[in-house]
Amino acid sequence: MAHPDGNRADDKAVSIVIDGRQVNARAGETLLQAAERIGVTIPTLCHDERLAPTGACRMCLVESSDSRRMVPACRHPVVDGLVVQTETERVARHRRGLLSLYAADVDVVPGTELQAHIRRYGLDPGLPAANAPRAGRPDDDNRYVLFQPESCIVCARCTRYCDEIEAVSAITLAHRGSQTTIATVDDVSLLDSTCELCGGCIDTCPTGALVERKSAHRQATFPALKPVRTTCNYCGVGCQFDLQVDAAANEVVRVTSPAPGETTNDGNLCVKGRFAYGFIGHPERLTTPLIRDEAGELVATDWDTALDRAAALLQKTAARHGANSLGFISSSRCTNEENYLVQKLSRAAFGTNNCHQCAAT
Amino acid sequence: MTNSIREIRDADCLFIIGSNTTEAHPVLAMEMKRAALRGAKLIVADPRKIWLSGMADHYLQLKPGTDVALLNGMAHVIIAEGLTDSGFITEHTEGFEAVRAQVRDWTPERASAVCGVPADEIRAAARLYATTHRAGIYYTLGITEHTHGTDNVYGLSNLVLMTGHLGRESSGLNPLRGQNNVQGANDAGASPVFYPGYQRVTDPEAQAHFEAAWGVPLDPDPGLNLNEMMKEIRSGGLRGLFVMGEDILMSEPNVSELEKSMPALEALIVQDIFLTLTAERADVVFPASCFAEKEGTFTNSERRVQRVRKAVEPPGQARADWEILLALTERCGYTGNAGMTPPEIYDEMAGLCDKFAGISYARIEAEGGLQWPCPTSDHPGTTYLHSDGPLRGKAQFIPIDYRRSAELPDPDWPMLLSTGRTLYHYNAATQTRREDGVNDKQQTCFVELHPHDGGTLGVTDQQEVTVQTRRGEIVAAVRLTTRVAPGRIWLPMHFSEARANLLTVDDGDGVTGTAEYKVCAARIVC
Ligand code: SF4
Ligand code: SF4
Ligand code: FES
Repeated sequence: MAHPDGNRADDKAVSIVIDGRQVNARAGETLLQAAERIGVTIPTLCHDERLAPTGACRMCLVESSDSRRMVPACRHPVVDGLVVQTETERVARHRRGLLSLYAADVDVVPGTELQAHIRRYGLDPGLPAANAPRAGRPDDDNRYVLFQPESCIVCARCTRYCDEIEAVSAITLAHRGSQTTIATVDDVSLLDSTCELCGGCIDTCPTGALVERKSAHRQATFPALKPVRTTCNYCGVGCQFDLQVDAAANEVVRVTSPAPGETTNDGNLCVKGRFAYGFIGHPERLTTPLIRDEAGELVATDWDTALDRAAALLQKTAARHGANSLGFISSSRCTNEENYLVQKLSRAAFGTNNCHQCAAT
Repeated sequence: MTNSIREIRDADCLFIIGSNTTEAHPVLAMEMKRAALRGAKLIVADPRKIWLSGMADHYLQLKPGTDVALLNGMAHVIIAEGLTDSGFITEHTEGFEAVRAQVRDWTPERASAVCGVPADEIRAAARLYATTHRAGIYYTLGITEHTHGTDNVYGLSNLVLMTGHLGRESSGLNPLRGQNNVQGANDAGASPVFYPGYQRVTDPEAQAHFEAAWGVPLDPDPGLNLNEMMKEIRSGGLRGLFVMGEDILMSEPNVSELEKSMPALEALIVQDIFLTLTAERADVVFPASCFAEKEGTFTNSERRVQRVRKAVEPPGQARADWEILLALTERCGYTGNAGMTPPEIYDEMAGLCDKFAGISYARIEAEGGLQWPCPTSDHPGTTYLHSDGPLRGKAQFIPIDYRRSAELPDPDWPMLLSTGRTLYHYNAATQTRREDGVNDKQQTCFVELHPHDGGTLGVTDQQEVTVQTRRGEIVAAVRLTTRVAPGRIWLPMHFSEARANLLTVDDGDGVTGTAEYKVCAARIVC
């Protein structure tokens, strides 16, 4: 976003060449940002545009005229006159080598960034991964966030997300060398940590090592689910997310956030938006209209009977006591269209302004 | 909100008052955290320590219900120290002199005596807010759920106007809407005083406009607000009620009185997705659809109209609320809606309201959401309001004086009770309490009590106690915590077996009718 006061962004213009194309960039930008703007995709793993770059995974190395060695595009700054090559044989050889190391080290999960890169470079993991001896948290009894250490590449996107965006630092890198893992302080359950169950660590993880526990057993089928972009029904922030639907089963299997930068919520969600969707297909949902019978009990009925009864009751009350003896409570949980229809029912069908909804802020 | 959510991260000062943002608006709070980690200064005013107060440069722990004193004290400092934006005041506002006169006596010391915040903290917060260029105010129900909620909002807007913190990125006055579509429900005219698009029912031109569009005569008098409706049920003035998607027996204040008078209703029609306490009392219950089962739009706090899309079929015979409403309206004798679809309903509304006239499903589809005002189909929408000065000519300063809350503690009822929402549940919790993972975090009702009071009362952490007010009582487990100050208690509103609203007072704000959920007198019995 532009800064009209010019008091923060350092917008000194520089010009560089990426894969033979001239790119205008601003000082302070990275090679990755400049490349993205002209549609050049550089594979990344530890990069998340919301987080400070660390250059940890080496996936994004490219050739740059200011360095003999290849440089990480995700954190290398643009410098005027730089010439960058993202697809040389040297770069490709590096990517193949790196990815085969990852593939040999971890279980590759379908539908993840890691798997996409492996596919792009034609590497079949083939052999089962010789998993690094990385500890999980088998006793963590929270129902939402599951850590599968056999798929972790220790890129630390999850811990940095938890530090820099959710800012609660519930998870952290622990141990050394090949045993490095994602842990909580004292290995407690996330329920007993500072974790707020936002699930942002799941969405940022490029390998599927972090997954929603409720749907983890279906992780292999995630790529086959149909995403339906919609608006969260909890608070007034209006986060956008994708309901991941198993259409044959008429079921929402999980909720994922759009990519960072795409919508107002910038790839973030909270515990309710991401995980509290179990009410959708809940067995206690009302499934038929109900009316009160002679004995005073609520009993199931058909739509015609229920609608006629409701209309008759409202009309009778209005006839007996006047339209202003009726009240219509609309809902800030329902859509704009539905609220419009309730006030129209109140005003146009009955002629009363006794129409309000349940929240005034 | 006059600003957009995306602008928060670029703010240099955030004044957060009466909003437990990390719990009530967690994703928006992430933007605040980002601003703070980047170096923005935070002023947090809340009677109860909240997560953000730990990050704040100035945490103002005011007594519940004394916001006006605090805000007048801040205004006093800003004026006395010459920190006003006189250019903005002359050009864009009127009524400043009245406010200047009103706050002249509100020295920080006097304000401090009422609100309990040290005078020097009031000074420091006022200076910081006034002298930071990109300074935004964020508030929610902690400001509005009072008998003087409207005064509180005026107090904030006076600060905004005297400092000229308006009409720029990251600078403005930002109410955070409590529920997903509070903004949209208001926009669409679910209001006793406004037609869709904030056109007053008392304005003959507006009346004629809607009469012509809908082909029926309309009532020129304002209707009852929700708080008044609840009281009219008790007095017999209201005999029939249609309720969509709300459990009023959970969410309305002083609910035991309401419960007693419900049988007097001759018609109670409830449309909901679960058999709520209110639905159990109904004559007719319509099984409705949740957001994942229907097409439509919600409008968020930053006035952005976004799509709701159908992902799954509703269960059994349940239908989308809009379908039920169309059928019911027709059977009630009005046929002007018959056969409409959600985009057609939106178009009808947009066609009657200048603010939304340029918004359509096709544009939302293409542009991913549009922020009103958006008057024409080639208008890009509005990210922050008042960029060319306040909307209608000059913005009005409104002097306000501190008034006490309706019910304050006394020797018989010594504790001051506030109620609110937590991160893990949502309002009446018909949805979230059916979710095991959040129940792990919060299974049952609790009441926060200061350890000092715990000692005096002789109660221990987790002990079950009875919380009583003049209106009712509930049982809850004690949480001893210094989040609340001595003499004050706090409890959440989510638990049907321990309804906070058996306790609350039903006195409402004179203008909005919003009830005083944040202040009443209580006692704890062990
Ligand atoms: S769990 Fe995922 S995000 Fe975290 S370090 Fe491992 S691979 Fe990276
Ligand atoms: S769920 Fe959120 S708070 Fe919990 S560990 Fe993951 S990122 Fe951190
Ligand atoms: S993405 Fe650049 S080093 Fe990991």
